Amino acid sequence: MRVTFKIWRQEGPDDKGVIRAYEVDGLSEDMSFLEALDHLNELLVLKNEKVVAFEYDCREGICGQCGVFINGRAHGPHDNITTCQLHMRSFNDGDTIIVEPWRAASFPVIKDLVVDRSSLDRIIEHGAFISAKTGTAPEANAIPIPKDVSDRAMDAAACIGCGACVATCKNSSAALFTSAKINHLNTLPQGKAEEHKRVAEMTFQMEIEGFGSCTFTGACEVECPEGISIINIAEMNARVVKSKLLR
Amino acid sequence: MNPLFFRKTIIAATGLFLCVFLIVHLSANCILLLPEDIARDLYNSYSTTLRESPLIKIIAYVLYASIILHAFYALLVTLRNRKAKPQKYVVNHSNENSTWTSQNMGLIGTIILLFIIVHLANFWARIKLGMGEEVRLDDMGNKDVYEVTYNLFQNIYFVIFYTLISIPLALHLHHGLKSAFKTLGFYHKKGLKFLAKVSLIYAIIMGVGFGIIPFIVYFK
Repeated sequence: MRVTFKIWRQEGPDDKGVIRAYEVDGLSEDMSFLEALDHLNELLVLKNEKVVAFEYDCREGICGQCGVFINGRAHGPHDNITTCQLHMRSFNDGDTIIVEPWRAASFPVIKDLVVDRSSLDRIIEHGAFISAKTGTAPEANAIPIPKDVSDRAMDAAACIGCGACVATCKNSSAALFTSAKINHLNTLPQGKAEEHKRVAEMTFQMEIEGFGSCTFTGACEVECPEGISIINIAEMNARVVKSKLLR
Repeated sequence: MNPLFFRKTIIAATGLFLCVFLIVHLSANCILLLPEDIARDLYNSYSTTLRESPLIKIIAYVLYASIILHAFYALLVTLRNRKAKPQKYVVNHSNENSTWTSQNMGLIGTIILLFIIVHLANFWARIKLGMGEEVRLDDMGNKDVYEVTYNLFQNIYFVIFYTLISIPLALHLHHGLKSAFKTLGFYHKKGLKFLAKVSLIYAIIMGVGFGIIPFIVYFK
């Protein structure tokens, strides 16, 4: 299989950046998209050229590191997957594949396809945890939680923080990410004690990191590898009002 | 309140008020579909009642404020959102994950705002502010608003303009109505599905209603 990669190349944060074309032959349709990029990088090494920088860790769809914009879609042409779960069989022989880094003011490019997503980490730092005493683990059944409640919390907790929601959103809004983190903990009894503080501080951090507003285009839930529902954002909006009134 | 949420809340709340206003507006427009002798009296006395009722006067100021706040905060939100995405993608197939309408509410809203200015110049400025040609009185002593409307829609260009504008209006209402509830924190799953259908039906009724009446008046 043979494709032409058109990849965003940028030396560093202050470099201007440009799209460069690379013709790559000898690919297998069973290769994952990241393996195809590995293959390209091996060819670049042999030619004594600089390799394409891109992020990955687990390559099994759970770590959220491998986000890139492929042919005009976050994580490539399919809905609800990560880039590492995208395979070359999703493309045709002879295709041109355009690969760009996530675009958002809050995600500055570090190099090539690698962006700095620490703005999401700072939102986490502002309340996406519970202040529990350290020591031995509490007895698992000490706090009874109904199944539907734990299911809802788990659905929100599934967020892997890949940043596809921000990348695909025309407003670069981090509302889906932040709402998933807030709803995960605020749904559970363990998170109740700090619920209003959590909402206020995490949404405040989201604001000062320079993310945009949610205008409910719905793009985020289509691109989210975990299929986190946009209804989470509506729930967060209700929690923002509630925290304002009750805090 | 956090500006990310405050601004959107204002847009949603004023938007919902404007949605209710449009129902009243379209209902009144339906008077124009009646036979001419009934329509003229009914339409003129209705518009006189609107102009003279103190309660309606208050609501009119709420309406002006809603339009201005809706547009002003939408502008603020749009400017901030643009700043949040300074560099666009070389290729972006946003049509595969969202509707064109949802991606272009600002553009559609601007078109509607321009229409509102023309619309106010056509009617509000003449009838309420007394600008331009004086509006004559009908047999009952009411301002003959029916005549103003009828004359305007004898001009085919205005008919086409008013009809075409109902398309962006319907698109804007379809996305706006269902999103407003989510912005205001309504997160009941089945309720939202129902609301999505209501928004679609509402948008179709408003689009077709406002779009077709000028044509019917033209051929009357």
